[in-house]
Amino acid sequence: MATDRVRVRGLSIHRPIIYGNTASLLTEKETSPSGHTHKWTVAVRSAASGPDSDIVGGADDLGYFIKRVTFKLHDTYPNAARNIDKPPFEVSETGWGEFEVNIKIYFVPEAGEKQITLYHHLKLHPWLEGEGSVPPPLEVATKLGPVHSWQYDEIVFNDPFQSFLNILTAHPPTPLPRTSKKPVPYNTANPASLEASRGGVPEFTQAMEKEEAEKLEAAKKAVFMEQERLRLRLHEREKELDLLKQQLGET
Amino acid sequence: MTSAADIRSVLSVPEPTPGSSQQIKKPVATNKRPQGISRELYELIGDSVPSVVPQQSKARLKLKPNLGSGPPRSRWEWREFRNGARTDGLRLSHWVKAGADPDAAYPFEHYNVVSNPYRYTEEEYAQLLEDPEWSKEETDYLFQMIEDYDSRFLVIHDRYEFPGGVLRSLEDLKDRYYSICRRLVRNRPWNGDESSRSKILGLLAFEKERELTRKQYLRSLENRTPEQIAEEEALYLELKRLEQTERQFKKDRDDLLRTLLGIESGLSDIQLSDDSTLHGLNTMPEIKKSKKRIGSSMEIDSPSTPSNSMIQQRRIPIVKNAAFDAQHCITRIDLPQTTVTKSSHQAAALRSYKIPTPKQAVATKVAQTLSEHGVNSSRLVMPTRENLLHLESLIEATTLLLETKKNVDRVEQDIRFMKAKVLRRDGQLGGEGGEVPMEVDQEAVADDDDVGIHSGRGARKKNARRSMSMSSVDTAAQAGRSNKRQKQG
Repeated sequence: MATDRVRVRGLSIHRPIIYGNTASLLTEKETSPSGHTHKWTVAVRSAASGPDSDIVGGADDLGYFIKRVTFKLHDTYPNAARNIDKPPFEVSETGWGEFEVNIKIYFVPEAGEKQITLYHHLKLHPWLEGEGSVPPPLEVATKLGPVHSWQYDEIVFNDPFQSFLNILTAHPPTPLPRTSKKPVPYNTANPASLEASRGGVPEFTQAMEKEEAEKLEAAKKAVFMEQERLRLRLHEREKELDLLKQQLGET
Repeated sequence: MTSAADIRSVLSVPEPTPGSSQQIKKPVATNKRPQGISRELYELIGDSVPSVVPQQSKARLKLKPNLGSGPPRSRWEWREFRNGARTDGLRLSHWVKAGADPDAAYPFEHYNVVSNPYRYTEEEYAQLLEDPEWSKEETDYLFQMIEDYDSRFLVIHDRYEFPGGVLRSLEDLKDRYYSICRRLVRNRPWNGDESSRSKILGLLAFEKERELTRKQYLRSLENRTPEQIAEEEALYLELKRLEQTERQFKKDRDDLLRTLLGIESGLSDIQLSDDSTLHGLNTMPEIKKSKKRIGSSMEIDSPSTPSNSMIQQRRIPIVKNAAFDAQHCITRIDLPQTTVTKSSHQAAALRSYKIPTPKQAVATKVAQTLSEHGVNSSRLVMPTRENLLHLESLIEATTLLLETKKNVDRVEQDIRFMKAKVLRRDGQLGGEGGEVPMEVDQEAVADDDDVGIHSGRGARKKNARRSMSMSSVDTAAQAGRSNKRQKQG
């Protein structure tokens, strides 16, 4: 219908997704002869994890608004440009080095939107404290288990077409759980969560969001208080300056 | 305790056979143990001592007041006191407790609040405040009275007697005073921002006509005859009744429409509750407009009028539910009335792309400050809409903070500079104490504004004596000379 190609103004709709990779060490048998040390999977999935799932996220099938995801791997890989046309949108490979994966998400034609580009640094070696660029020895790595590096984000559609809006509303996203017993996905923006991120398959929760909000609020409060303090000081100093100016003005 | 025999005699119960009743006999013989109270009384209360011993006081008639022997025995003195609010030095006396502090402030002093009336200067009067109906002398007289009687217009009006003047009503006086004040506020240089100035102007707004009509209205309200009051009551009741019938009518009509047109007619099941008839009349034309708006999610759709054209079913689903929006991650924003073009559409993007970045100049400092608070300003763990807003306001606040810091540093720098100059000038005038300013001068060289340096030089030119130079241009030789002076002084 013609009205379907009308944009719904004043409305924006978003979908939460996660993108990132999981990596685990290859056993002695599997490594030879390629010299690869790890096997990894890079993916774009929905943010909420399914119940009793052993992967991060992926509760919803994103095929209703994503047509294709292109993963551009390192040039040393054959067919470095991997196109995934149907869910699950992921690429599994083996390798030995970390590199930046270029991810392009193409939307269904009804969306009338161009593709969006993301970047993800493929993480093979476990997260460690400090800025050590030296990967830890094998025993330590094996003990720590598979490595997860995921980033939460939201794809925002502004003023969507009516038809696309209908498609989206027909597939409401599974909401994130409030809390989870599973470990917290680690993020370099929150180094304090390193400890909480170990020991299993992590899960994204609303608690993470709240925690960040609280952190931002606390910082804002601190900044405001400092601002108040400085403003008072400024006021006093300005008065002092005026006094001195007057003193100098006389005589 | 009443003995069994007594009970039986009272109740006329026949003597029991032994064993048919178990009476616990207290091992107390009925001999007259207690003295002073009768036997019956004793048996009533038993062995216990009466809990309340009757107090035998002497006849309590005409109690003599217990004067002069109370423990808090206070003595009062007749003392002179000083009233700080008085300007004529009159010393009055009053009774004061002997132990009171003789120098305590008079407790009613602080009630002598003096408000600040407006005063004009001669030039101001000549420029701004001329009025054909008010001579300068009369205006001066009025302002003097206002000062004396603290802007209490009723008192002023009562005592207002300008020789040779016309009769002035209360509103005339007020009008003259407030119009003068407004003009003064507008034309005097104002130390503050415009909003506070307009607030003061609002305070001083006085309209004579409105005041007069208002007082007339109140007077007429007071002086209504009983018939008028009754009539007004009747009218009010009638109004209420009319409103109710109208509400009923509307409800009936909506029900009818709904049954006729079916559930899908677009009428909601919720009804507006009118507070007044007028409001109800006004909602009719607005209903159609609100139907067309996509509208905020919590808006209640009011029932539409039965127009000739059927209610248009828009394809756009008017979602009335906040929960629905939340479930589908929909955000609605108020539309600015800009025209829609192809390019005004913002492409789909990750929310992380919209993370606010501060301006280039302060970006690094902002990032540094934020990292001190444990916040990474370039990446969020969970970039949701709320968190992004938080981050945005945080960055704004930090930018403001940095600016204030810069200002404080600048002002403190200026202060140090000024202090140095003052001390040095005093030092030269006084002939000693030149040590401190020299050290301070050395420090303050760093990054002075040009203005500071020039003015310093200018001031120094007046003094013939040798002086410590501020700018780094001057040679060390001069510094050497001044140091010598320091050693001698």
